[in-house]
Amino acid sequence: MEYVVEMLNIRKEFPGIVANDDITLNLKKGEILALLGENGAGKSTLMGILFGMNQPDSGSIRINGSEVQISNPNAANDLGIGMVHQHFKLVHNFTITENIILGIEPKAWLTIDIKAASKRIRELSELYGLNVDPDAKIEDVSVGMQQRVEILKMLYRNAEILIMDEPTAVLTPQEISELANIMKRLVSEGKSIILITHKLKEIKAVADRCTVIRRGKLIGTVDVATTSQEEMAEMMVGRQVSFKVDKEQQEAGEVVLKLEDISVLNSRKVMGLKNFSLEVRAGEIVGIAGVEGNGQTELVEAITGLRKAEAGRIFLKGKDITELPIRSRIRHGMAHIPEDRHKRGLVLDYTLEENMVLELYDCPPFSKNGLLNKADIRSYAEEIMKHFDVRSGQGAISVARSLSGGNQQKAIVGRELEQNPELLIAVQPTRGLDVGSIEYIHKRLVEQRSKGKAILLVSLELSEIFNLSDRIAIVSNGELVGVVDADKTSENEVGLMMTGIKRGERLEAQNDQRHK
Amino acid sequence: MGKKLVSLALAVMMVLLALVGCSKPSTGPDGEGSADLKVGMVTDAGTIDDKSFNQGTWEGVLKAGDNLKLSTQYLKPAGTTEGDYLKEIANLYDAGFKFIVTPGYKFETAIFQAQDRYTDAKFVLIDGSPHAGDYNVVVKENTVSIFFAEHESGFLAGLATALQLKEGEVGFIGGMEIPAVQKFNWGFQQGIDYANENYDTNIKMDKENFVYQGSFDNVAAGQQLAAKMYDKGVNAIFAAAGGVGVGVINEAKTRVKAGEEVWVVGVDVDQYSEGIYEGNKSIILTSAMKEIGTAAYDMIKAEKDGKFPGGEILTFDAKNNGVGIPAENPNLSADVTNKVAEVFKKLQSGEVKVSDEQGELIK
Amino acid sequence: MKLKMIKGINKNTIVSLLSIILGLLAGAVLMLITGSNPIDGYTYLFRGGFMNIERFGNTLATATPLIFTGLSVAFAFKTGLFNIGAAGQMLFGGFCATAVGLSLTWPKPLLLMAMVLSAILGGALWALIPGLLKARFNVHEVVSTIMMNWISYWVVYYAVPAYLKGSFLETESRRLPHSASLRVDWLTNLFNGSYINLGIFLAIAAALIIAFILNRTVLGYELKAVGFNRHAAEYAGINVNKSIILSMMIAGALAGLGGAALYTGNAFNIQIGVLPSQGFDGIAVSLLASNSPIGVLGAAIFFGLLYSGRGFMNAMTKIPPEIADTIIATIIYFAATNVLIEGFVDRIRRKKRGV
Repeated sequence: MEYVVEMLNIRKEFPGIVANDDITLNLKKGEILALLGENGAGKSTLMGILFGMNQPDSGSIRINGSEVQISNPNAANDLGIGMVHQHFKLVHNFTITENIILGIEPKAWLTIDIKAASKRIRELSELYGLNVDPDAKIEDVSVGMQQRVEILKMLYRNAEILIMDEPTAVLTPQEISELANIMKRLVSEGKSIILITHKLKEIKAVADRCTVIRRGKLIGTVDVATTSQEEMAEMMVGRQVSFKVDKEQQEAGEVVLKLEDISVLNSRKVMGLKNFSLEVRAGEIVGIAGVEGNGQTELVEAITGLRKAEAGRIFLKGKDITELPIRSRIRHGMAHIPEDRHKRGLVLDYTLEENMVLELYDCPPFSKNGLLNKADIRSYAEEIMKHFDVRSGQGAISVARSLSGGNQQKAIVGRELEQNPELLIAVQPTRGLDVGSIEYIHKRLVEQRSKGKAILLVSLELSEIFNLSDRIAIVSNGELVGVVDADKTSENEVGLMMTGIKRGERLEAQNDQRHK
Repeated sequence: MGKKLVSLALAVMMVLLALVGCSKPSTGPDGEGSADLKVGMVTDAGTIDDKSFNQGTWEGVLKAGDNLKLSTQYLKPAGTTEGDYLKEIANLYDAGFKFIVTPGYKFETAIFQAQDRYTDAKFVLIDGSPHAGDYNVVVKENTVSIFFAEHESGFLAGLATALQLKEGEVGFIGGMEIPAVQKFNWGFQQGIDYANENYDTNIKMDKENFVYQGSFDNVAAGQQLAAKMYDKGVNAIFAAAGGVGVGVINEAKTRVKAGEEVWVVGVDVDQYSEGIYEGNKSIILTSAMKEIGTAAYDMIKAEKDGKFPGGEILTFDAKNNGVGIPAENPNLSADVTNKVAEVFKKLQSGEVKVSDEQGELIK
Repeated sequence: MKLKMIKGINKNTIVSLLSIILGLLAGAVLMLITGSNPIDGYTYLFRGGFMNIERFGNTLATATPLIFTGLSVAFAFKTGLFNIGAAGQMLFGGFCATAVGLSLTWPKPLLLMAMVLSAILGGALWALIPGLLKARFNVHEVVSTIMMNWISYWVVYYAVPAYLKGSFLETESRRLPHSASLRVDWLTNLFNGSYINLGIFLAIAAALIIAFILNRTVLGYELKAVGFNRHAAEYAGINVNKSIILSMMIAGALAGLGGAALYTGNAFNIQIGVLPSQGFDGIAVSLLASNSPIGVLGAAIFFGLLYSGRGFMNAMTKIPPEIADTIIATIIYFAATNVLIEGFVDRIRRKKRGV
């Protein structure tokens, strides 16, 4: 069999951690190879080596059978290797054409021959069914389109081998299925693709083979068609994984969070949330279901105090907290797992231990008379890391930035739960995480519920909402469409309500509410 | 890994430090005494080629260096505080320069200290006299303080201007409102008046056209002020203002190239070459000069001859040819030059007197 | 774990040392080009800074304002702000101190305390405005601090001749009496007539206090959190606006102290028409020190050495002063570009590992 890429016995060490330990990976021409692993398993490092961003400590790389040194991304480009990063590298006020030719502008005398470039991009776009308008500006096109621009960038540079790093993390379900089609089209035209992911469903949908790594070690390469999702998950995590969370039936207690007709402006200064009322009781998980950008952010920020409620009142355990600053809300027993762990959740340049007391640093025992007590901070952080299985290169003094996404998220979840809050606002608590971490975090949330705490869960993943919630509140266009019991509804019905359609079922659901 | 870099870094540092350490610490670089006199200068604010005070002094020092075969060096302080000046004086002294010339009143307090600290060195302070900040002047035996009769210089320039223009209007742009600049101004006005009274010229002076910009370095402001005055009909501006004067000159050049006829009267040194706009033609009508270079040269020569007038305060005026207008003034007619020379003689003889106080004059 | 931390510190130190060496090498090239012997040049440069106790004192005194402005910039950097206004804050702080020194006739210790306090307040006030603008209207502090520099320049330009004018000198204030000067006899005598003054002790104390605030206190924790990630700080309930204003004020107070050290310690009066260059050099000092308060001490003394040794190098060699300035500027330029050097060090490390 002829391989286009052979990575043989690759080893790479970072301070405190072996990221890749003797990993071998082969890519055949014209196939889609999935590279599966948990967050922090070493996938990105391995692909970084192939793309010339890291140099392996040992091992060799062969491209089309001949051994090569890939010292930087340009060398990788010359070898026909292209990479689509998870975070796009595009200039927003440039057109698609300008972005694609950036760095390799076709010159006509002293000017850039945009027309020729644009023509070639159009041809490529048609050949691979990418449907890209070369003259549109990046800021005007959707995220899915931006990703296709990244793919086109690679094709324009004559890449034969495409590395795609978690390409679906930022896409809507429709965009995901479009991407799958594009990928199939690409391989049918002779390209070869390595797909980095931890989403088993996608692997099943597009990949031919799957190489699994765990904690830097190669577990094996399997044929996707003959391997079940459960088997792959077990290879990845190293144990049996349950996709369903066990939670016991339990009576909800007193009202912990009460929202009365709140209205909130969004960042464009129009009402993003209108006359919204909701109750969350002790010992229950209420899920907020909705398409992204339908008022979830405004809702969460109004409850947590990051944004002002223009109208209405917010009560926490009967106390009106509408006007309270963020810190007092936290002190009254509110915790918040934020939507974006890099933007809000962590101070990435702080160490892990400093991050673990982000809300508590000014309380004893972590400080006294304005001075920090580093010893207590460290032991507290180490405790959280132990309880929540947070792994890092240098323990509590690792810089937060150096942790993998999953470990960062576990650290945040740990920090928030360790405060033993009466009310937990969990926003997308498992976004971008692998099944092992998801399972773990879900368990901890349910545990919190069992302890009689109230949880408001906001998620874009319906399966997560259904897995965890007792009741589901559906938002659409900033308004509450309805609240339904999780065990008396279906994904189908909630999906329809998410589009704003209020049907007969909605009435039934509300009747159920009243009976309670 | 890091270790290698550290050791590399340390090694280089060591070599550098070793070099420093090895060199002999104390003895001065050269012998002492006037046999091989070394003359140093510390510059005031501005550069050595400021076409004004620094340059004038330095040219005198250089001339002395050439004629008398002395080694010379100038230092430029980092700032204009007393500490900055003292530091450079110490640098010169430690390097064996035992004859130090400092131009400008800003050196007064620094020289006051230096003359006590470096008793075996000689100091020439131009345009100032040493004091401790309280204006109680103390000139020690190793120091000479030199002043100029700016009013006489301004008088001659004013006279020449009036004689050449015959009628029209003149203005004045000063830098900061300090005595030297003020005296230029007052003398200039008296020169104009003298011409109006004795030579039947008709030159007007308006209070609004006699201004102090407030700094010696704001070129743009100088240009603006000049533009305003020329617009109001002023024919010649006396600019005693350092860098501000450069702006005045620039404005005049622009206007002359555009066909207007305007003039600038230069200051301190012969600024003719500054005002050249085409070929050999300059907008500098004449300059009110202080023979700074001559003063510096004379002092160095005196030291060389063992006649250093230590402890004295000298005034350079018309009597000792310390002030005047340039010998060659291509923009003045021979007649004007002759008349000015006549009056210059009267100044020297005391027949004509110029006041160095404001009195009834403008600002 | 200890070992690793030492290694981490080492990296910054290596980078700074390499930067300095590279700067010195670049300066050496310049000297060669202008026909001078670099070894002689540097010998005289270092001797000019250190060859006797007086010169050593002068070097420290030259470094004093730089320590303050370096700390000012470093502190602002650490808390996410870019303070280009140290020059203006320094000028205004120095003006306040001078004004107090010339107006009051208290006993020396009391008067000095009042002057230092007024410098702190003056500098802080000058930085308060950009802080407020940033917090309230999100006006970028780079723009507003630069503008404050010029406001300070012109305020002093007007106020000194109007209120603190000497008997006829228009360009500077009256001379401060000995009782209002940071210079003290025992120090002057100890350093054999140097103009070193109490400012150096204030500067060292300030560096220690700032290091302590940043690393050990709740306040430092909050300010740095806001600096690193404003959104996360807000999320955690830290009052972001208050922190920004406070950071700016502390940075301004430090610069203001630098003004007191410059105008009432190194000098005896304040001058108009000059923005103190130390305000801008503070940026380079801070860069060379990788924003570490203790590093600032070292970096500022290095710069002080360059500035105070330069004249002697000049006097002893035939290097013209302008070239000497260029050499010093080149050294500072290289010293301040540790970011590049850091990349270089990283690359070497990688290369070594790759082999």
